[in-house]
Amino acid sequence: MLKLIVCIKQVPMVSELPWDSRTGTLKREMAEGMMNPACKHALEAALRIKREYGGHITAMTMGPPMAAEVLYEALTLGADRGVLLTDKQMAGADTMITSFTIARAIEKECPEFDLVICGSQTADSETAQVGPQLAEELNIPCAAYIESLECKDKCLRMTRLSDDFLETLEMDLPGLVTITTRQFRPRYATLSGLEEAFQFSGITTLNAADLGLSPEQIGMKASPTRILDVFSSTAEKKNHVMTGAVKKILEEVFEKFGDKIGSAMEKDLKTHEHSD
Amino acid sequence: MDFNPCMKHKLVRKTVREFVETELGPIAHEIDQDARFPWEVVEKMRSLNYFGLQIPREYGGAGLDSISYAIIIEEISRVSAAMGLCITVHNSVGAYPIVLFGTEEQKKQFLPSLAGGEQIGAFCLTEANAGSDAGGVETNAIQDGREYVINGTKIFVTNGGVCGCALIFAVTDPQNPKKAASVFIVEKKTPGFSVGEIEDLCGMRANQVSSLFFEDCRVSENNLLGRRGDGLKVGLAALDTGRIGIAAQALGIAQAAFEASLKYAKERQQFRRPIASFQTIQNYLAEMSTEIDAARLLLYKACAYKDAGKKFGPEAAKAKLFCSTMASKITGLAVRIHGGYGYSKEYDVERYFRDAKVTEIYEGTSEVQRMVIARHLLTTPT
Amino acid sequence: MKKTAKEIWVFGDYRNYFRNRVTLQLLAKSVELAKKTGSQVCAVIFGNGVQEYVNEYIAHGAEKVYVIDHDSLHEYHVETYVVLMEMIVRKYQPEMLLVGATCFGREFAPRVAKRVHTGLTADCVDLEINGDGLLVQTAPAFGGNLLAKIITPHHRPQMATVRAGVFKELPHDYHASGKVIPIPVPKRLPENRVRLIRSKHEPPRTNRIEDAKIVVCGGRGMGSKQKFKKLFALAELLGGEVGATRPVVYSGWADDDSLIGQAGRQIKPLLLLSFGISGAIQHTAALSDAKFIIAVNKNPEAPMMKMADVAIVADANQVCSALIREIRERIRS
Repeated sequence: MLKLIVCIKQVPMVSELPWDSRTGTLKREMAEGMMNPACKHALEAALRIKREYGGHITAMTMGPPMAAEVLYEALTLGADRGVLLTDKQMAGADTMITSFTIARAIEKECPEFDLVICGSQTADSETAQVGPQLAEELNIPCAAYIESLECKDKCLRMTRLSDDFLETLEMDLPGLVTITTRQFRPRYATLSGLEEAFQFSGITTLNAADLGLSPEQIGMKASPTRILDVFSSTAEKKNHVMTGAVKKILEEVFEKFGDKIGSAMEKDLKTHEHSD
Repeated sequence: MDFNPCMKHKLVRKTVREFVETELGPIAHEIDQDARFPWEVVEKMRSLNYFGLQIPREYGGAGLDSISYAIIIEEISRVSAAMGLCITVHNSVGAYPIVLFGTEEQKKQFLPSLAGGEQIGAFCLTEANAGSDAGGVETNAIQDGREYVINGTKIFVTNGGVCGCALIFAVTDPQNPKKAASVFIVEKKTPGFSVGEIEDLCGMRANQVSSLFFEDCRVSENNLLGRRGDGLKVGLAALDTGRIGIAAQALGIAQAAFEASLKYAKERQQFRRPIASFQTIQNYLAEMSTEIDAARLLLYKACAYKDAGKKFGPEAAKAKLFCSTMASKITGLAVRIHGGYGYSKEYDVERYFRDAKVTEIYEGTSEVQRMVIARHLLTTPT
Repeated sequence: MKKTAKEIWVFGDYRNYFRNRVTLQLLAKSVELAKKTGSQVCAVIFGNGVQEYVNEYIAHGAEKVYVIDHDSLHEYHVETYVVLMEMIVRKYQPEMLLVGATCFGREFAPRVAKRVHTGLTADCVDLEINGDGLLVQTAPAFGGNLLAKIITPHHRPQMATVRAGVFKELPHDYHASGKVIPIPVPKRLPENRVRLIRSKHEPPRTNRIEDAKIVVCGGRGMGSKQKFKKLFALAELLGGEVGATRPVVYSGWADDDSLIGQAGRQIKPLLLLSFGISGAIQHTAALSDAKFIIAVNKNPEAPMMKMADVAIVADANQVCSALIREIRERIRS
């Protein structure tokens, strides 16, 4: 039986985001949360390992109290236990400090683990750094962007596509892998699983003191990086908006942009009705 | 009193929304147009327990509370009301009466296959001469030794064309006006059970509504649900639960119509500005949102009463009356906001408009709901 | 004591040299940054028989190249490279360390940062020097919809991974000269805990769409599977490929290979035609390299329409049919 830990992040569901430009952080309480897509694939990988080889899955997240929701979702999908790291002092941690904090929680709550599985990257900050840095913190081997997994005698055989190289890798457990959204398409939650998650499963909540961490060691304070400014990149293009009858629109499109279409096609197009 | 949804109910909504938007969303228009029952989606819903929502866990159900139930039906109906109908009728009036009135033996025999969706359930009361008046039922069941022989025709049976097991309301003692009818659990495979043509309806077209025929259809006396003569009691209890489902369904349709209207009002340009900038449209939107909120609270109240084990019949009737009336009104407004496009099959609001209407009719018309509510008012000691 | 010039280091990621020139692009950017900070541009390269890359980096702006060249380094290996980089960073203490945001780089850099305890910014799309002489790193978030400017005020080196294609490489300078600093491989390298069993160079699995000059992309706004098929007809006519959004793929209107909205998958067509797509961030993030975008949607406010060069407010399906007719008529025989 393998002891698995899946690290999950709750990310905001909306695309228009309420940012606090003063502190450069997201006002998370404004947005409805969801399980980060890659984390959901990571959980799916864990569930498949559990089905294949037997196992016990601990889902762990760090975030505000409402992040417990993604743990319940994980329990619904088949995780066995949830651990929530929540503390105002932990807020604003960068990847360096996030991986530090999670590592301490893993050492406290499930030191006997065989495999840690993380999503390759989050939909919000997109760093893809926490997984590899967590492996460093725990001093275990790590393989990122894994697409398939096989386990034999506590040795993991994996494949991945890395910069156009199809690699087959092996590592002895304990270890850490990160999973992309390319494989391990997540299952849907069953409704009985959902009822079970709320009726029979517990979530362990830990704060900084529980982990024996002082405020200087965690959160924004301890993080090497600082966010200076956050701004929207979708500076609206000055574009050409067309409305009305389709036939007319298309005539105008060809008149104005026919050369662009033609050159992409590498063909000479008639751009005007009577150009011949 | 807490008006914030708890984490469980939030997660129920997200879970169902993700599934139906992905699986049912892309085909909702097509199954309505073609009046096609989407077996490929039903197949997936089976393993996710959509057919065992309130069936206890020991019989293979999910054992969910009533608010979760209402949220699930709302979310399915928000995408496809016809499938919301299939699921709520199966759960509330097809299976739940067996949970309430079934013997242990009956529960063991029928609930697991209903919970797993291998058998889709239906409830047959309506006949050609018996709509709101259950006293007009002509289908009869005559005892013959340890069996009953059922004869008659049921019409407008929701899920009729796809059901594997139906609850049949039939007259057993015509001489005894208070105890005239009984309810039987009849499986489709029973000889003498046959399905009529699928109705060509205005709305809910993907649901295979049909007539069911019973010709010398013999069932064991073990298939009698509740005691002989308890038909009305079983039927009324089934309808109380059923009304929560229909209220939730109406709410889901209204929610979809509102969301479509809000989106359209922001997009649609007339007189060089979005129509949402006009006060008339703003009034419509404000009214829609307010009524939907009110309807939802009324529905959750009925659910909370039910979960608390209180008498919830009048609350369910109020929720059903209000939600269905509201849904008809809001889908009508949605069509108006959409203008000509709202009347076209190109946009979904036309489907919402057609689907909403029947929520005022089935599981007790709005007039019957008023009757139920008034009777409660007049018989409650003050 | 002699004050040594602070160094800007660029990690020499040469494995995929012909497809990915990010190292050269970073050298070019470093030359620009170095002018402002008075630093020296250095490349760092690990491997076996890497002289040609050493020359290449010097020709593209490196004033100095740190080289660890040894038999045992004949293949790319994250763990070994992390150990070597930690060792020389500790020894030479560069001011900045820039790494291309390749798959390798994005696994390698965070581990180096952790070991030397410094900050790291991922997948940067811009780098500049502020008034305090600090490296301001601009990194995307939320599928590129937001950008964050990030600094590492007190920890060194200041580290960033940088996306390929955002900076322009310098022309090859045949007269450039640079200093080569060979560094011996340590006597005892730790054993690799992750063993590379096989590595096969794969032509990218789905270069069909990634390399297409024209991509016709469809969303749920096409209406149905049947109507979606028209996009294939249009693509064929144009000599392009069909792409699809996640909901479309999940609904079975198009197969998985068509999916655009996958982390790390960028398309870069000269012409992108987008039909009935509102533009979820996962999708639009993959389109930033498209040269000219024509989008069709009923909703003029949809994000996809905002990022288009031409936004046609109409029914996607209708426009698709009409466009097929128009193109047929307009192709000069």
